[in-house]
Amino acid sequence: MSDEYENKAGYQAQSSETISSGGGGSGSASDIDYVRPAEIPEQDLYHGHSFISKWVFCQDAKVIGVQYFLLATFTGVIGLVLSWLMRLQLGFPGAAGFMTAEHYYQFVTMHGMIMVVYFLTALFLGGFGNYLIPLMVGARDMVFPYLNMVSFWSFFVAVGVLLASFFVPGGPTGAGWTLYAPQSILEGTPGSGWGIILMCVSLILFVAGFTMGGLNYMITILQARTRGMTLMRMPLTVWGIFTATVLAMLAFPALLVGALMMTLDNVLGTSFFMPTILKAGEVLEYGGGSPILFQHLFWFFGHPEVYIVALPAFGIVSDLISVHSRKNIFGYRMMVWAIVGIGGLSFFVWAHHMYVSGMNPWFGFFFATTTLIIAIPTAMKVYNWILTLWRGNIRLNVVMLWCLGFIVTFVNGGITGIFLGNVSVDVPLSDTYFVVAHFHMVMGIAPLMVIMGAIYHWFPLVAGRFLNETLGKWHFWLTFLGAYSIYFPMHYLGFIGVPRRYFEMYDSPYMTSAVGMNEFISMAAFIVGAAQFILIFNIIKTLKTGKPAGHNPWQANSLEWLTPSVPPEHGNWGDKLPIVHRWPYDFSVPGSKEDFITQTTPPSEVVETEVEKT
Amino acid sequence: MSDHKIEGYEFKPGFKGMAHDTGSDQTMFKGVHWGKAMMWIFLLSDTFIFSCFLISYMKGRGSTLVDWPNTSEVFGLHVFGVEVPLLLIALMTFVLITSSGTMALAVKYGYEKNRKMCGWLILATAIGGLIFVGMQAYEWSKLIHEGVRPWENPFGAPQFGSFFFMITGFHGTHVSIGVIFLFIYAYKTFAGHYDEGKKGWFTTMKGDYVEIEILGLYWHFVDLVWVFIFAFFYLW
Amino acid sequence: MSEVKEKEQSTTHKIGIYLWIWGLLFVLSFFSYMVDWYQFQGMLRWSLILVFMFAKAGLIMAFFMHLYWERYALVNVLLWPMTAIACFIFLMVAEFEYTVFTRLFYFVVGGQ
Repeated sequence: MSDEYENKAGYQAQSSETISSGGGGSGSASDIDYVRPAEIPEQDLYHGHSFISKWVFCQDAKVIGVQYFLLATFTGVIGLVLSWLMRLQLGFPGAAGFMTAEHYYQFVTMHGMIMVVYFLTALFLGGFGNYLIPLMVGARDMVFPYLNMVSFWSFFVAVGVLLASFFVPGGPTGAGWTLYAPQSILEGTPGSGWGIILMCVSLILFVAGFTMGGLNYMITILQARTRGMTLMRMPLTVWGIFTATVLAMLAFPALLVGALMMTLDNVLGTSFFMPTILKAGEVLEYGGGSPILFQHLFWFFGHPEVYIVALPAFGIVSDLISVHSRKNIFGYRMMVWAIVGIGGLSFFVWAHHMYVSGMNPWFGFFFATTTLIIAIPTAMKVYNWILTLWRGNIRLNVVMLWCLGFIVTFVNGGITGIFLGNVSVDVPLSDTYFVVAHFHMVMGIAPLMVIMGAIYHWFPLVAGRFLNETLGKWHFWLTFLGAYSIYFPMHYLGFIGVPRRYFEMYDSPYMTSAVGMNEFISMAAFIVGAAQFILIFNIIKTLKTGKPAGHNPWQANSLEWLTPSVPPEHGNWGDKLPIVHRWPYDFSVPGSKEDFITQTTPPSEVVETEVEKT
Repeated sequence: MSDHKIEGYEFKPGFKGMAHDTGSDQTMFKGVHWGKAMMWIFLLSDTFIFSCFLISYMKGRGSTLVDWPNTSEVFGLHVFGVEVPLLLIALMTFVLITSSGTMALAVKYGYEKNRKMCGWLILATAIGGLIFVGMQAYEWSKLIHEGVRPWENPFGAPQFGSFFFMITGFHGTHVSIGVIFLFIYAYKTFAGHYDEGKKGWFTTMKGDYVEIEILGLYWHFVDLVWVFIFAFFYLW
Repeated sequence: MSEVKEKEQSTTHKIGIYLWIWGLLFVLSFFSYMVDWYQFQGMLRWSLILVFMFAKAGLIMAFFMHLYWERYALVNVLLWPMTAIACFIFLMVAEFEYTVFTRLFYFVVGGQ
């Protein structure tokens, strides 16, 4: 891919500009250090002057990233509180006096939707994406800063509309996060009036806002990289976020269409998803629609959505593991192709969520096959993470702990995914706690571990100070052991057949056999939830008093640590854009003085070393 | 479109060129303006929206047990005492393709820096779009007059009304947005913003005739979607 | 951007090509209208509709949207995602046939 760097001499003649290390330098040094001149003129940036244009309606991707992060975390805390309330009901029925079955369903729905869309998606793509993409590819900012700003404020309005549904007559929708028609808009489901409308409107706003952001991320990565930054020299973080953004751009349309049609069904009385329905002996006005169409539309969005959450986590964790085990990532290209392959395949597996829905029975064959094929690139990634760790110079700090926690959790959740990918195993396990355990492990806890690791890793960049390690270790161990205490027993609950989404087990046999386990899970959930406030306390404490980080505190190679000022300013790079000469994984290179060679180090400075050809 | 020279970069043709472009630094789409790349990706996303609409329509129409109305009669017009099937739709197609052609020429003259010609052609496109929206409004009012509603339909399956209003409504919204932008761009062209490189309202990028091409992409896309709607909704 | 001057020579095409495509689009639209006029039915109608539709879409994309002149990197990025749509269409055809089958079987035949 980099043949134009091999035969530099040919280009030498055409180009008037050569780059040499540290100015001047010998002829041969500038020869091997040659990088093609810039194609794109410098980007003009809008610099805010007032408080409002600097911090509120800000066009700096880094500020927007932090805004996304804070708002997503805020909604995430709401989701966390909702899960506490649910666990309170499940572990100790009746302990929360006000809790009715309707409330329970509303909390389940809002918890799911908030955590998947408004927390994880927004946090990974909006938060980390905005902050890291321009820095990592060496751009001054996103390519369309204004659009980026509008993107955040659409997200803001979407969250506002979502939370407003708690205060409308009937409360938020209680249809489950999948919002399956027809029950989501029929009377009897909580929030079937205002609640579901606000949910649909909020989703449409979110999709519109995200499209603006997503265009920014994609074009920045494809068209605004710095000199020398080829696609195959990008950190895997960028690859993960990029592929996830592509998925989002192509999957959210299905959600948008589904939400729009459901709103019309609800408001205008169309029958897109509504079949002929008998209610208390009376035929409703609806008729002839196709409920299963909504499920297909939803999961055509919903399955890529899983990877929208997972792929950035894959990418980020690869970088964290590589940096903190001081080794290059094992099989970089394989990792890239695995990310791209998983992303591509994720559009062909959606109906494995629908094995028991009454769809065409032949589909089970197709979707089980494609689902199991996805396990191949995913397993490759797990092997590569482990092989990166193998004989690495591992720093067992908080960041590394989170990464190890991620690998373990992800393998666990992934293997149960293989169970559920098979039709014959899925049918008895469908709608039991086994499913709950599976998806919480694989797309709840695992990406969350990466988020935590990423926070401990990049906080020194964003704030200029380290987070407290001791508090971090408490945070990790409580979360890791606690999360396992929650979800590991749930697998067992699923095997004995406890159904999910039940408000109470009443007098069923589960009431006797599973009651102790339910209490235990709930206790663990309270502790894990509370443990997350350690992080918030840690952040608030270290913002002022933490140990100053200085430049490149982790001895990392990628561009975001190489800005002239820490934290980076608007425009990121001062006067001159960085020039990239290598991939970001040159750690512990034989012959090198230090154990890392930054991406901007020209080849002439490391002639003696055995660096990878990238 | 983009085979102009880039310093230090050798263009290769075909798939080899694709690998070469993809593997190179800085940009993957060589010489493609940021805005143009953005419009293309946006249109890709929009294609998925319309595809989902049309797939839903296919699934809805295919699985209903009630007869689907005969579109050829429903959309027929009574002209000079003769019942002409699908006449209005044929005229709408004609108008939209005409406006697409003027847009293509506007892009061409824009790149040739022919300000007057470019401006007039954009204006012609905008007027074509306006006529299209007007005809669609007439079509809607005609059907509503005949008793077709999103929730019911005297000619057969109620889903006919639902999908008709939703899909043509969504397409019509796209056309309307396009018309608004066409008028704005016509003004900007006549005012010479693209010759002087005047910055737009919400961006720090300098004005350039490539913006006409970006708008043109959007407009052709609207036409493209109409081709599919015409085939699947009206002819099927 | 600054390369406009260089672009000038390469990006404009002779007006003839646009007029040709324009004319072809009218002809093809006329043909697809004729499909309805002569009330072809069955597979013939289907294949004619699809052929004219894809021909028109292809002409618009290739020449009016300039994809024919774009580099393969862009063209491929735009066209490959359509496989997901193709898969969706293909499966939804199977799905609506099955839905019709179940509806006929349980509501009309009586499910016995």
